[in-house]
Amino acid sequence: MSENVVVLVGANAEVLDASTAELLTLAGQLGRPVAVVAGEAPQALVAELGRFGAAEVHLVSCPQLSDSLVLAKAALLADRAVAAHAKVILVASGLEGNEVAGLVAAKLSAGLITDVVTARFETAELVADKVVWAGKYTVTAKVLTEVAVLTVKPNSCVPLIAEVEAEVRQARFDFEPVAPVARVISAEPTAATKRPKLVEANVVVSGGRGTDGDFAPVEALADALGGAVGGSRAAVDAGYVPQTLQVGQTGKSVSPDLYVALGISGAIQHIAGMRTARRILAVNSDPEAPIHRLADLSVVGDLKTIVPAVVARLG
Amino acid sequence: MRIIALVKYVPDSGDEVGFEADLSLGRVGPSSRLSELDEYAVEQALRLRTELAGATLTVLSVGPAEAESALRKALQMGADDAVLVTDEAIAGSDVFGTATVLSAAIRSLEGGLVVAGMSSTDAGLGVVPALLADSLCWPLLSQAAAVSVEAGLAKIARVDETGSRVVEAALPAVVSVTDQSGEPRYPSFKDVLAAKKKSVATLTLADLGVDASAVGVGSARVEVLAVGRNPDRAAGRVIVDVDGSSVDEIVDFLAAATK
Amino acid sequence: MKVLLFVIAVAVSIAAVALFVRGALTLYRLIGAGQPSPGRLGPVGKRLGNMVTEILSHRRFRARPLVKAAHWVVMVSFILLVPTLAIAYAQVLDPYAELPIIGGWPVWQWLLELFSVGGLVAIVVLFTVRLRHPSEPEDAAGARDWRSRFFGSTRWQGYFVEAVIAAVLVCVLVMHVLTSAVLARYPETAEAGSWVHYPLTFWVGQLFWSLPPVALEIGIVVAATFKILVSMVWLGVVGYATTMSVAWHRFLGVLNVYARRETDGTPALGAAAPMLVDGKAFDIRDLDDLDEDATFGVGKIEEFGWKSLLDFASCTECGRCQDLCPAWNTGKPLSPKLFTLALRDQAAGMEHSLDIFAALKSAGAAGELAAPTRDADLVGGVISPDVLWSCTTCGACVDQCPVDIEHVDHIIDLRRHEVMVKSEFPEEFNGLFGNLETKGNPWGLPPRDRMDWAKGLDFDVPVLGTDVTSADEVDHVLWVGCAGAYDEKGKKTTRAVAELLHLAGVKFAVLGQAETCCGDSARRAGNEATYQGLATENIETFASYGVEKVVVTCAHCLNSIGREYGQLGADYRVEHHTQVLNRLIRDGRLNVVAPPEDERRQITYHDPCYLGRHNGEYDAPRELLASLPEAELVEMEHSGSSSMCCGGGGARMWTEESIGTRINSARMDEAEATGAATVATACPFCAIMLGDAAASRDQAPAVTDVAHLVLAGVKRGLTNPTNEAETES
Repeated sequence: MSENVVVLVGANAEVLDASTAELLTLAGQLGRPVAVVAGEAPQALVAELGRFGAAEVHLVSCPQLSDSLVLAKAALLADRAVAAHAKVILVASGLEGNEVAGLVAAKLSAGLITDVVTARFETAELVADKVVWAGKYTVTAKVLTEVAVLTVKPNSCVPLIAEVEAEVRQARFDFEPVAPVARVISAEPTAATKRPKLVEANVVVSGGRGTDGDFAPVEALADALGGAVGGSRAAVDAGYVPQTLQVGQTGKSVSPDLYVALGISGAIQHIAGMRTARRILAVNSDPEAPIHRLADLSVVGDLKTIVPAVVARLG
Repeated sequence: MRIIALVKYVPDSGDEVGFEADLSLGRVGPSSRLSELDEYAVEQALRLRTELAGATLTVLSVGPAEAESALRKALQMGADDAVLVTDEAIAGSDVFGTATVLSAAIRSLEGGLVVAGMSSTDAGLGVVPALLADSLCWPLLSQAAAVSVEAGLAKIARVDETGSRVVEAALPAVVSVTDQSGEPRYPSFKDVLAAKKKSVATLTLADLGVDASAVGVGSARVEVLAVGRNPDRAAGRVIVDVDGSSVDEIVDFLAAATK
Repeated sequence: MKVLLFVIAVAVSIAAVALFVRGALTLYRLIGAGQPSPGRLGPVGKRLGNMVTEILSHRRFRARPLVKAAHWVVMVSFILLVPTLAIAYAQVLDPYAELPIIGGWPVWQWLLELFSVGGLVAIVVLFTVRLRHPSEPEDAAGARDWRSRFFGSTRWQGYFVEAVIAAVLVCVLVMHVLTSAVLARYPETAEAGSWVHYPLTFWVGQLFWSLPPVALEIGIVVAATFKILVSMVWLGVVGYATTMSVAWHRFLGVLNVYARRETDGTPALGAAAPMLVDGKAFDIRDLDDLDEDATFGVGKIEEFGWKSLLDFASCTECGRCQDLCPAWNTGKPLSPKLFTLALRDQAAGMEHSLDIFAALKSAGAAGELAAPTRDADLVGGVISPDVLWSCTTCGACVDQCPVDIEHVDHIIDLRRHEVMVKSEFPEEFNGLFGNLETKGNPWGLPPRDRMDWAKGLDFDVPVLGTDVTSADEVDHVLWVGCAGAYDEKGKKTTRAVAELLHLAGVKFAVLGQAETCCGDSARRAGNEATYQGLATENIETFASYGVEKVVVTCAHCLNSIGREYGQLGADYRVEHHTQVLNRLIRDGRLNVVAPPEDERRQITYHDPCYLGRHNGEYDAPRELLASLPEAELVEMEHSGSSSMCCGGGGARMWTEESIGTRINSARMDEAEATGAATVATACPFCAIMLGDAAASRDQAPAVTDVAHLVLAGVKRGLTNPTNEAETES
């Protein structure tokens, strides 16, 4: 018998985002996926959820949702998890995701593991892996409680289509806090096309002197990877990018999962700002450039021809 | 009014870390220090202290005895006094255990505003402020890129995966701030000297009336089974591109790296 | 009439002297109100000796031989004129009055005339020099002439003092002409008025023989009166205007030279002056004695030591410092001269002169013209932060100053206050200080990576503590430094030096991870506490391994360990790698071989400020380059002691340069102008800065440390000496 695995559908519920699809796939591996949508949702979304394996879709309306920071959403999710007798609750990792997960775990006295990259049942116990300490260690942990709450890192698994006819349930949840709560007085959703902020991005593509002023390949690759654009000091000096995008000793320090250095020599002042990146790719036409010693994959070649070819392949 | 800033003593991000017998991350290392993200909390707490006439700032931490050095750093930045809750029974606590201890301490200190960092640099969960608000029954104003208080009302600007929001609540409240909230001040040498005179009080679980069964390894809801060292960044692979010969390998690399 | 003139002269004199005495007392009180400056009054004999030699030899006047000679003549004539002024009072009443004893001595009279004529010629020369320098904020074409050393100097004061000197000298000569005339025409006094006593003026005096003696006597009396009046007007004006330091330097400059920092006559370079707290040098190991209200560095004018206040009051506004300042010459608002004058006026509580203010304003260093408030914070007030933080501490100003002003020490004192009390400094220093404090190096890289440079060498590098227990087991301890351990170029240089030492059979060891930053950047940035924390850590490390001397590859480490650690009680003998390599070549332990073809290579050498100006080593690197058979050394426009900074000193290496043009770029322009294909240097900071400048140009010269050139030459000699020569670097 498959246990219910509740998945909190991504914040902007208009469109099915990649992380929700991944969560559903993971949920399918762990049990029976139950998607919970907090707030309004178009019909197309329900079909999409079913496409990725959601056996049940709970559409929960909650009038207090937009006024509440995270408490309403967490209470709603906890409520649905109880209603579905969920064994596992999956939320996408993030500032809000982790908070929601924490509050749900507190409410349900459940075990919590955040930023998980894999999860599985070993005998009856839920075991998950997470990577800590700037990528140096992988920790494997098991949840000791009845119910488990996990937040899952993006790009942890490949979303698989597992077409099912989702059973839709409408519900209403009224968040009635007993204690004073914070009130949201204005909200602006993130524009879908904006690039992530440099210091927060998981992927950073930076350009240096080797771009010769043409940042189009840098930007194209960044967009293809969903990353932020950065620049070396030389690029900033030459006016290719504004100083706010400078990565390095006297610029910003970034710690992304992937750092792509295009036409950057790798002088120590730049390295100091990005050396904690988990993976580094470099393209530089100078075989003596120090960046070649630091990058995990280093290509001696002309970025102006290589990068567009790569972008074409990714697209 | 007492503002309480929460700080954690953690190993320096550049250090090689050690693991305890229970496979939890070792807290005491060669350059363990005040968690960098908590410096932002102390900084905002200092600014809020100026905004709130007559307020004092106490900096609070739960940790081993060595954590006092983290509190010292916060005192150098300008906090008025410090409290360290240290007790062997707390070792190995998960976030719920930690939150239990912290909220007991906050209640005992009669705090009126709590300022925390966005997450710790070692564990990095980012949930303690939410758990604290829940436990204290105070409003939560978390992950703030900017915070201000006026006439007993705290207001934050928050940016997260949903977008940007402005949130407000009446004090007392739990606030957490991100690293976008403003550069932490560098203590002047005068501040460093002045800090030598400030006090660090220690409290135990008994002082707080918290039962040992609520904290520590025994109360943890998750058990670490194994810790594996991932291979180091080896001297990478250098390939020379000839007419686009590298594109395949690059695409594979990117796919693997963005998993 | 003579009596009337005498009365007028005396009346004016009394008033003038009163004003002068009042001015002198004002200055005395002003300077005396400063904090203690220990060690500046003695040893009396040594100081007096140095003062006399320095002033008489004018050795602190660098270059500009014509100006130096002219000034010397004027100075001597000023001294000689004092007794003639005294006797002038008598001459108003009796035109034939003479100085007692020496008055009739031909030696005296010849000296007087020579220097009067010489002085007049000299003052005209100096006048012309000043005139030719535009010091308008905007010239006729509307462009600022920043390169003039007189830009920002108070013009009317300069012309005034020069005019007074000229007038007085003319009076003296007129009096001599007329006296000679009135004496020489009569047989009884002919000898007294002859060329024996009036060697130069006698001939002119002959033109006046036709005039009646009475007329001549009146002429003498009038000239004497005029001379007194002009001199007294000068005295009075100077007494009234205590900030007219172009005049006051005649007195204050002498005192300033007496009380200079280094009693051996060398400029106040190398070590920065210790930070004084309550008159005592601050030591971080001694914090218990520290007063609660102790202040660090200088925040307000009264926190300067009296010697510093004397410095500001002595400035002659000559602008030699401004002329060579790399910051000023690349468009930053920092001019050491304007900096000094701003502090002078602040100390005196006086408004700037219009020229000074206009210059400051056009440089972007001043807001409104107003009388300074005594109590005001200096930085953010009379000294803008951009002025303070633009300094690279290159020391050209100190090196050039003829009255021994210690500009660099003052800058550092102001920085100390900003950092240690106000915590206000360029935001890039947040990272710098944090990195130094937590990781012991400016880049914040892990200490355990300090030995990475040694990986891959085909010999083992012994590490003190692991392979070797004490420094006396080896010939040299090689201090790698932070750049030498973490910067790519720096690492290469360390390897090259290590290889050369190895090839020469020198036994050496390194400290490996036990090294922490020498602290130079922290100290120059004003963070004396962090500097001392690092320094004392190194001192302990040195002590534990019995290290008494080290070899360094970085000029900043050389300066810090070799010149500054002594202030903390630990003296070390520090040699620069160019000095050691030079010796090894001379002793024949290293052999440099020419490349196969007769290729000549034009090389220019960039003097690192902390090796050259601060530590006086200009020759060893040049000798080293000269030992390369293929090298042809060409010098840049500014080399040796007037060398231009690379822009990396003064902790500027760690900050963005956002005002004006880049210093390293300007220096690279000079290098390119020599036509050399290679720029050799001897400091990793210079290599990084010049390397950056080269990288942004298409056809720039290659920047390399001297060690690499030597290594290439040595390696050539080791391989098969046939046509197949290796070219490794």
